[in-house]
Amino acid sequence: MAYPYRHDREVRVMSEAFGDPAARTLEGWKARGGYQGIARALEIGRAATVDEVKASGLRGRGGAGFPTGVKWSFMPREQNPGRPHYLLCNADESEPGTFKDREIIRWTPHQLVEGCLIGAYAIGAAHCYIYLRGEFFEATGVLAQALEEAYAAGLAGPDVLGSGVQIDLTLHVGAGAYICGEETGLMNSLEGRRGEPRIKPPFPAAAGAFGMPTTINNVETLAAVPGILRHGGEWYRQWGTEKSPGTKLFCVSGHVSRPGNYELPLGFPMMDLIEDVCGGIPGGKALKAVIPGGSSVPIMSADECESCELCYEGVAAAGSMLGCASVIVMDETADIVKQVRRMADFYAHESCGQCTPCREGTAWASRILRRIEEGRGKPDDLDTLLQISDQMTGTTICVLSDSLAAPIVSAIEKFRDEFLALIRRGERVGAA
Amino acid sequence: MSEAPFRNPGWAGNTGEFDLAEADVRGVVASDGPPADGGHPSVAPSLPYMLAAKDPAAPLFEGPHLERFEKIKSRYPTARAALLPALNLAQELRGFLSPETMDEVAALLGLSNAYVRGVATFYTMYNKRPVGRFLVQVCTNISCNLRGAEDVLAAFLAHAGTELGETSEDGTFTVVEAECLAACGFPTCVQINSRYFEDVGPADVPGIVDRLQGELQSGAAV
Repeated sequence: MAYPYRHDREVRVMSEAFGDPAARTLEGWKARGGYQGIARALEIGRAATVDEVKASGLRGRGGAGFPTGVKWSFMPREQNPGRPHYLLCNADESEPGTFKDREIIRWTPHQLVEGCLIGAYAIGAAHCYIYLRGEFFEATGVLAQALEEAYAAGLAGPDVLGSGVQIDLTLHVGAGAYICGEETGLMNSLEGRRGEPRIKPPFPAAAGAFGMPTTINNVETLAAVPGILRHGGEWYRQWGTEKSPGTKLFCVSGHVSRPGNYELPLGFPMMDLIEDVCGGIPGGKALKAVIPGGSSVPIMSADECESCELCYEGVAAAGSMLGCASVIVMDETADIVKQVRRMADFYAHESCGQCTPCREGTAWASRILRRIEEGRGKPDDLDTLLQISDQMTGTTICVLSDSLAAPIVSAIEKFRDEFLALIRRGERVGAA
Repeated sequence: MSEAPFRNPGWAGNTGEFDLAEADVRGVVASDGPPADGGHPSVAPSLPYMLAAKDPAAPLFEGPHLERFEKIKSRYPTARAALLPALNLAQELRGFLSPETMDEVAALLGLSNAYVRGVATFYTMYNKRPVGRFLVQVCTNISCNLRGAEDVLAAFLAHAGTELGETSEDGTFTVVEAECLAACGFPTCVQINSRYFEDVGPADVPGIVDRLQGELQSGAAV
């Protein structure tokens, strides 16, 4: 068996069991060291658990990169009467280019269950909801079975591992809406509402799900926690950089010979990822552009990729964002205008419609880009797009509209000639 | 599971390095499907498995489905929070959510009809009208698009004999374009009812369509 694909430069802390069905069962997971993390957490206590995760330097894997232990410490120390705490696990993976959480869920469901138990314990939550993307029927089935096993074994429920601590977990599935991956949109959706993001403050730690103190963590974040509790925060810091400790799943898609999920230490050189780990670009074609962190981040030109290190600070220094490390590789045949238009269609479709700059801006951008793509662009279209993008940035409740503005602005800045060629002559890259 | 007519179904990768059976890849654990009553309450809101038979007149909710609905409600501090799982269950039974179905769910949870319709129409997975026996959702977002997803979509439309967003005359296939399905490494990703088919190229499409029709005839379709 070989999980497609493996590479010897990987550090498989959480992905070692990918492709191994035996690891899905409780027995199989325990044989691989499972549930030692929650046992240690219960032993050292709540505050020390938070401290251990703080010491590891683990940063949120959902895109923002906020330190997880610090986030946990924002929760009230003691639970006030009638104010239960909630942990939410964001498993609504839907950022274009991202496909790591589904792998964690379907291959190592107990890793996630254990991470949720530790997280819930650390923040004093007696209930954790795992909000799964509705499309993940198969992965949800795998996780549901793991959860039933965990309950039957006394790992979840009223008396976790005989400690007297109550932690319930509930699987909750969405119904198809990208915006529910935004933390407050997710909370509204969980509560049975439209997945419209909420204005912050109040922040979730003060008033989140059901108006109660809430912490929300990404699947990959919580899946990293059992190892940290089991081996210690310092152990985790042996990989990665000072500011970006640990390992991370890199989802590589697009024009590479060996796409897939690779677990690598943060700070890994981008060109090594593309050329060595992923086997380079098929057909010996030249690299044109990379979107390093999912569709919402600025596009990088080939030059900018040269010395880029894949950590939060490294990609930021190169002018983009690591996001959830969803690396979309485009070779010289890629049609930038078409792909930006496709992204605009996506954001226009997924805008929840609450805020005018987003609702109107994403739709306008989509229409203008399609006009350019079809050779009907007008001379001032690029200026219009840049103006719309400016007004879509920092003006709305959540960052969905910013997430379209970033690729548009960076694409026009770095590939202006392609837009202009289409506008001037109806010429299109890749067209015969 | 029958032999796959194409490489690595539901799996990622086309190197031939991988030797697991399809059932292992998919995590299919019970041949008779999940329990109608939803199993343990912790997972009851999460199992909107596609039922083989959809009945637009199915009652909301009776027998094991009522048990499941009660389990769902027991997991949330408010009745409102049970709305999405309840709509999922209603769609599972009836195949789509008519305005009347939405109103029934509203009554069961003590919510207004307008509120439930406002929520139900927000989410793309709720079918507002009947769909074919197989709902074929082809991702055409960036990662799949770069690798030829539009050709895959065209192939499905041609082989299923339908137009985009429409249902084939025999009621078997509805083909739609989907946004990113979170399986970007192995394009094109196609979701057909509850299953993912990955690494699909235009040449694989006739085999998939044949397989689905075979499953329909043998009663093995999911």
